[in-house]
Amino acid sequence: MENIIEVRSLVKSFGNKSALKDVDFSVRKGETIGFLGPSGSGKTTTIKILTAQLAPTAGEVRVFGEPVHLLKDPARMKRIGILTDNSGLYDRLTVADNLRLFADLYGTDRGEIREALEMVNLIGEEKTPVQKLSKGMKQRVTLARAVLHKPDLLFLDEPTSALDPANTRHIHGGLKALNRAGTTIFLTTHDMEEAESLCDRVAFLHDGEIRLFDTPRNLRTMQGRPTISVLLKNQQTVTIEPDAKGAAAIAGFMERGELVTIHSNEPSLGDLFVQMTGRNLA
Amino acid sequence: MMTFSMKRVNAIFMKDWKDLQRNGYVLITLALPLFFAAWLGRIGAGEGPLAAMPITFALVIAGAFVQAAMVAEEKEKNTLRGLLLSPASTMEILIGKSLLSGVMTLVVIIGSIFLADFRVPSLPLFTVSIVLGLVIFLAIGTLLGLLSRTVMETSILGMPVMFIFGMAGMFKEMISNETVVTAINYLPSEQLATMWAGMESGESVGGNLLVLAAWAAAAVVLTVVVYKKRRMD
Repeated sequence: MENIIEVRSLVKSFGNKSALKDVDFSVRKGETIGFLGPSGSGKTTTIKILTAQLAPTAGEVRVFGEPVHLLKDPARMKRIGILTDNSGLYDRLTVADNLRLFADLYGTDRGEIREALEMVNLIGEEKTPVQKLSKGMKQRVTLARAVLHKPDLLFLDEPTSALDPANTRHIHGGLKALNRAGTTIFLTTHDMEEAESLCDRVAFLHDGEIRLFDTPRNLRTMQGRPTISVLLKNQQTVTIEPDAKGAAAIAGFMERGELVTIHSNEPSLGDLFVQMTGRNLA
Repeated sequence: MMTFSMKRVNAIFMKDWKDLQRNGYVLITLALPLFFAAWLGRIGAGEGPLAAMPITFALVIAGAFVQAAMVAEEKEKNTLRGLLLSPASTMEILIGKSLLSGVMTLVVIIGSIFLADFRVPSLPLFTVSIVLGLVIFLAIGTLLGLLSRTVMETSILGMPVMFIFGMAGMFKEMISNETVVTAINYLPSEQLATMWAGMESGESVGGNLLVLAAWAAAAVVLTVVVYKKRRMD
């Protein structure tokens, strides 16, 4: 499948400090890719380089098959959507006025504004001045702005960092729908659940290096075989191997009416990240 | 490939227009040259050495200062990045961001002409000089805005600019150094004042127009270069 993003031997330094060290990866058309890492791991720097806001120190970066600096061309810019941690809104203008500006800049029908607001659960707030919105609502407006023109490639830097669980779930639904409609999504997050829920592949970024890059399922299972925990009516928890012997044991608990719950004990991506890097994600 | 879309320019202009109506700081700043012109009109300075002051003051305050504040606010609130990452080209953003300040400056100049009893010598030539003045001061304002991190900083950076470009002529008589006086004479505000006085007395103003055109070209080139440098982190 066609690669939308190709990165080879990418290096980015700020003075003596290396933000990215020899990073290689590619993103296929239609994928949702997550870059996971704690603050300062190089996630935002990667997005800034991929969107031509920052020049790489060394290495090759291609977006849509062309050198990344060509993205500065307005026609190419139309194909991407960007939500960064410092995307600003016009405080004195209403939500609708903010989105109208970008609909006109992207040559998008203003009718798309409603769809974008639906996606971020902000219908009814069209006439509210942005300065009266909460931090989470502002983040949802900037997300609406990024998806308004249904870009081919969407960059999201911590898209749900300020949102409550209900809105996060709603937006995840919208992003999945956008992805099904053909948008390739590159997101950074330190929320493991978000990565597991949205991403086809996940990269663990630590100290400017990609430590692991695979599907969430492969990542979870690569650190040994998962086990099964069974909680019994007598409050005892039994750990069972996922094999024929384990299946027979579970069947026995069920027949005797002793079983309360069954859980698989796969390591989470968060556990795996701590194992790999010795650091938490927050 | 270079593109230019009036629709995108208009979108930025309309956004600025809606924003201006709720921006007390800019509205008060725009009113300042009008108060100054009304005061000069009351003391009868319409034909003396201060005759050109209301118009140059309008250019400096409404053109450069307001433009600087509007550009700096876009930087301070991270909204300029949104424009930079949109399909709008450098020229579309720069023209779109200058259009409202330009229109408002024209309104303030027209108001100042009436309030200060300023006599317009020859309308076509005066119009050309005002257009050149607008380009120069809007470009200076954009530069100031791009070089400032906050709206507050534009006031600090803008003070010497206002002094040099708006009031240096007033202090010419007190300066004995020939080089400094010659330099002041080449400032846009002085060129405009000399040109309008020359038009009144029927002198040739081609030289003034050339100097103003050179200022306009240099200011625009410098603004575009600085803008492009600021596009990247």
